[in-house]
Amino acid sequence: MDLFPVWLSLRVSLTATALTVVAGLPLAWLLARRRFPGRDALGALVVIPLVLPPTVLGYYLLVVIGSRGPVGRVLAAFGLELAFTWRAAVLAAAVGSIALLVKAAQAGFESVDSRLEQAARTLGRSEWSVFWSVTLPLAWRAVLAGTILAFCRAMGEFGITLMVAGSIPGRTQTLPLAIYDHVQANQMADANVLALISVGLVVGLLLGLSRVARLRF
Amino acid sequence: MLAVAITKRLPGFTLDVSWEADDPVVALFGPSGAGKSLTLHCLAGLVRPDGGRIVVNGRVFDDVAAGLHLRPQARRLGYVFQGYALFPHLTVADNVGFGLHGRSRAVRRRRTAEVLERLGLAEVASRYPRELSGGQQQRVALGRALAPDPELLLLDEPFSALDVPLRRQLREELGRLIREWGKTVVLVTHDLAEAYQLGERLVVYDAGRVVQAAPKDELLLRPASESVARLIGMRNVLRGRIVKASPDRIEIVWRGQTVEAVNSLARPYLAPPGTPVAFVVRPEYIRLIRKDRAGPDPAHHMNLLRGTVVDEIDQGTAWTLLFRLDAPGEPSQGGYDLEVEIPKLVYEMLDVARDRGWDVSMHRGALQVLPGG
Repeated sequence: MDLFPVWLSLRVSLTATALTVVAGLPLAWLLARRRFPGRDALGALVVIPLVLPPTVLGYYLLVVIGSRGPVGRVLAAFGLELAFTWRAAVLAAAVGSIALLVKAAQAGFESVDSRLEQAARTLGRSEWSVFWSVTLPLAWRAVLAGTILAFCRAMGEFGITLMVAGSIPGRTQTLPLAIYDHVQANQMADANVLALISVGLVVGLLLGLSRVARLRF
Repeated sequence: MLAVAITKRLPGFTLDVSWEADDPVVALFGPSGAGKSLTLHCLAGLVRPDGGRIVVNGRVFDDVAAGLHLRPQARRLGYVFQGYALFPHLTVADNVGFGLHGRSRAVRRRRTAEVLERLGLAEVASRYPRELSGGQQQRVALGRALAPDPELLLLDEPFSALDVPLRRQLREELGRLIREWGKTVVLVTHDLAEAYQLGERLVVYDAGRVVQAAPKDELLLRPASESVARLIGMRNVLRGRIVKASPDRIEIVWRGQTVEAVNSLARPYLAPPGTPVAFVVRPEYIRLIRKDRAGPDPAHHMNLLRGTVVDEIDQGTAWTLLFRLDAPGEPSQGGYDLEVEIPKLVYEMLDVARDRGWDVSMHRGALQVLPGG
């Protein structure tokens, strides 16, 4: 049977998780440590992907990145296409999972005693240095737990991916989409194998890391 | 030289303080919530005042009118936080070296080793803060603050995390250390004994304001007001009315008795008769008059009062007697009028345990008028 969806899902989810961490950590830090106008709105915006129907999210995303959407047009001008490529699946997975990382990391940063950060400032450390030498080392468990959750969520992304990347076999058909297709085609044995791989990967990752790094999810 | 004159408005609390000090060690003393720690945060640049100026040894830290606010990183100060705020993920050596990160590795290592040595922490250099005793943690916090050689050292309740027996011992140790390092120090404490032992100048805070700033000896001898006298725990803070005030004497009527006090030489208090006035009587300056000699003689004994010992408190080497005047009326301090302190020997010789009715006399120098407040 074709294992392409497994490799695609891993590639998509790893890339999406990397994006999520790069964009999500500064966001989590802002929400945890800074007071600014619009902070509450930003906090609400972050959790919207968790509560909105994935198809709705996917629809809006498609409107934005589709060939006639604002972002899609700009990309097209550079000869790039986003919608219905594996990159669109990455975007879908990132949008679907970033809230998990932000919320976990925000809670982690908030649990760091802010006097430790103040102490670092009085000792001459810049904000950048305070983050890397105090805040992150004390919150890494929460950040790692959030990253793992985001990765697992990305592995399972279905609705948004279907809307913006389609389900093109050999190109954008990720693991969950392939399972759906197999079931539709009454290929239960194939669906079963992929489902087991899916469960094995996620459960193994969660259990393994909670053992090794003593994480609590 | 420190000059602090700042305001800061927070929800439900306003800090509005002004004090100056030329002394090496200044203690900010007052009850919890009086604004002492907030002042320290402003000094460190962690909180930005709403108004005023902070100048330390000629360097302007804050000048709100001029829009000037130096970042904490640029103030070159050491801050020992309440509870120490040691970095739990770093060893003792890394904690102490944390403020040296701009310097070369060799300098960092040498300076860290030197500070650890001086503070007697060399043996625990590779341990983590949670593995240390309270006293060791305090020294690590001090070492971390001092390692970058700051101009100003700020100590926020440095003993609050420690058990009481340990506090007294460490107070002496800390006093020695800050004298040795010769830094300008601002100490925050709600413990008067700490303020006295470590500070040369005391700034007394109450409800977001400074009620008195003075060298410590002056503060005890001449509290500026009734509230200061109460804040520094003076006993027998009493209220009466002026009968007559002259530059050297004041007569006061209190509990129906007329008592006489020495007026302040420096700042004579000359309010008109009938003015309410607060005064203190030092408990150790009140004498019981012996009954086996000639009786009380107004010509010989000043401020004679008659009353009864209603209770007594064992102070170890002395007794505190709670003394109630026989004169009719409500006692001025709850169930009694005066605290009288007598050494145990006198207590036994006079057999106060059995004999409760006494005449007492107070030298006019033991009565001190508290102007204002």
